Amino acid sequence: MAADTQTSTANALPPPRTEVGVIGWMHANLFSSRLNSALTVVSGALALVILWYGMRWVFWSADWTVVERVGGLFLIGSYNTELACPGQNCFWRPQVSLLLVTALLGMIWGILGGGVAKRIAILTAVVAALFAFLPYSLERMGWDVRILLLANLPSTAIGWAVARYTPLGQPRWVVAWGVVVFLITLVLQRGLPNVPGLQPVSVVYWGGLTLNLILAVGGISLSLPIGIALALGRRSNLPMVKLLCVVFIEVFRGVPLITLLFMSQTLVPLAFPEDFPQNSLFRAAVVITLFSSAYMAENIRGGLQALHPGQAEAARALGLPGWQTTMLISLPQAIRNVIPAIVGQFIALFKDTSLVYIIGMVDIVEIGRVFISRPEYLPSAREMFVFLAVVFWVFCYAMSYVSRHIERNLGVGER
Amino acid sequence: MTTNGHTVSDEEIIVCRDVHKWFGNFHALRGVTTSVKKGEVVVIIGPSGSGKSTFIRTINRLEQHQRGDIIVDGIELTNDVRNIDAIRRDVGMVFQSFNLFPHLTVMNNITLAPMKVRHLPANEAENIAMELLERVGIPEQADKYPAQLSGGQQQRVAIARALAMQPNIMMFDEPTSALDPEMIKEVLEVMRELAASQMTILAVTHELGFAREVADRIVMFDEGVIVEDQPPDDFFNNPRHERVKHFLSQIL
Repeated sequence: MAADTQTSTANALPPPRTEVGVIGWMHANLFSSRLNSALTVVSGALALVILWYGMRWVFWSADWTVVERVGGLFLIGSYNTELACPGQNCFWRPQVSLLLVTALLGMIWGILGGGVAKRIAILTAVVAALFAFLPYSLERMGWDVRILLLANLPSTAIGWAVARYTPLGQPRWVVAWGVVVFLITLVLQRGLPNVPGLQPVSVVYWGGLTLNLILAVGGISLSLPIGIALALGRRSNLPMVKLLCVVFIEVFRGVPLITLLFMSQTLVPLAFPEDFPQNSLFRAAVVITLFSSAYMAENIRGGLQALHPGQAEAARALGLPGWQTTMLISLPQAIRNVIPAIVGQFIALFKDTSLVYIIGMVDIVEIGRVFISRPEYLPSAREMFVFLAVVFWVFCYAMSYVSRHIERNLGVGER
Repeated sequence: MTTNGHTVSDEEIIVCRDVHKWFGNFHALRGVTTSVKKGEVVVIIGPSGSGKSTFIRTINRLEQHQRGDIIVDGIELTNDVRNIDAIRRDVGMVFQSFNLFPHLTVMNNITLAPMKVRHLPANEAENIAMELLERVGIPEQADKYPAQLSGGQQQRVAIARALAMQPNIMMFDEPTSALDPEMIKEVLEVMRELAASQMTILAVTHELGFAREVADRIVMFDEGVIVEDQPPDDFFNNPRHERVKHFLSQIL
């Protein structure tokens, strides 16, 4: 409706021109008083100066050859070196794993429909494809590396199409597909003895961003359910359950993750039978997951405490048993209320995965650090860390972006 | 026996004998003995802190009584979870603050318990829900979320939600205290219609006009005991207890 046409109700006037549009916004937010106008001008000038010098450094004075040199090592560490995978090109194995994961995400998108699942699938595929444009200069990596990374885009689409147009896309198959993809990924990464092309690669050589992602995805997907169980346990009426949960939470929250990681190498083996297959990666994953679960439990407990007791009372008054009241009424509301805290914990967990360097694992940060400790790359430390910061930022921002959409989707009932 | 137009049978559906309840050291219910007959409409009034809400909350075990007996529809309230759940299925409750589930649509608020507790198929539960929404006058709000409704509409949804379990008894805990005046009327209208349909009703409310018009008995609580229990005419015109006159003079 044009601003100057008469509105149907005689007394309703259009808002004054200074209150609407770009001019109105600027008037209200940037130049509402003399002081604000002065602050706007000064901070604007400051921002321009910072932007100018920043851009000049990025495009002019910075020397990005160190990033080029590290190349594919950022992604998989020494997985594909002569030591880990002698006489073969093993780069395709983590890449095929990634393709399976993006196809799975595509299927979940196809089954659940648009919204959050769609954003997760597309974001993952796009970020994976973006890594195809990293400069790789190691001689063992050719064009196939880039093509396989770019193939994540079509693989997401294929997963989506399979879920949409074939009988395989029924919701009950999703869990099965998840397990299948997990097992294939595991076999691909570990390798199988006596199978040509799939020779075992020791976990010692797993590294780079792949390592960060394995630890983060494992930790995120397990710490949420464990955290929920701990939070419910801490609010339980059974004194022993409550005591155990309190002790667990307080112990794991009260010890620094670094200490836990050091301890993991000696303590985690005690918790499992002697012949249980385990390695440093497994131990680190266990410790990171438990550490994160303790925080998660407190986040979720906070959400449960904030609920009006009338909610549970209304459910009980309808005859719903206690566990259904928890699963259908209390938990969904509690989790929705603490999504920002939960995602904050996910982001913290992802960043914390770079601490595994202290137990000798070579994650993406450690690779960078090793490179810049060489004399010839010493002057490039700044470029290296800026690059690493950008990589972490991309992933963390993606999580935060998805969480905002989850909140928006769930917040329908909240005015 | 007929009072205020309801057919009241002689069968006692709620029996309370010497019910006591303590909150810590505070003696909230100090020996409540009363009974409610099937089809009867009982309005409970009393000053705040008198134990009236606590009393109806003990009847479906939202509060646990520590001494005395409560028998609802032939089932004695004990610590046996099966008895408690059986009674809760049989007693609908409407709260002052509505307590609708904000993460579910109006339709899902109503169908949740019939589907999960009575194991009705979805389409059957939805049919019942639509009938009830029509009965309380807001069928067009089925797909909205509680926060999108006015207070009066929310309370009517809460009544529909309780009715969906097809209870024999409905309890109202100050159902209109949180509402604006023009919305009080629409909720009382629904309650009036319920009373006319022979539902057994226990209502804590300060709406004396409603009590006079609809109740078979008015019960007044003070300091954890029942001080007056009479049909409305006698209650207002010749109360036996001095406290009742005092209370009525304060709120009329």
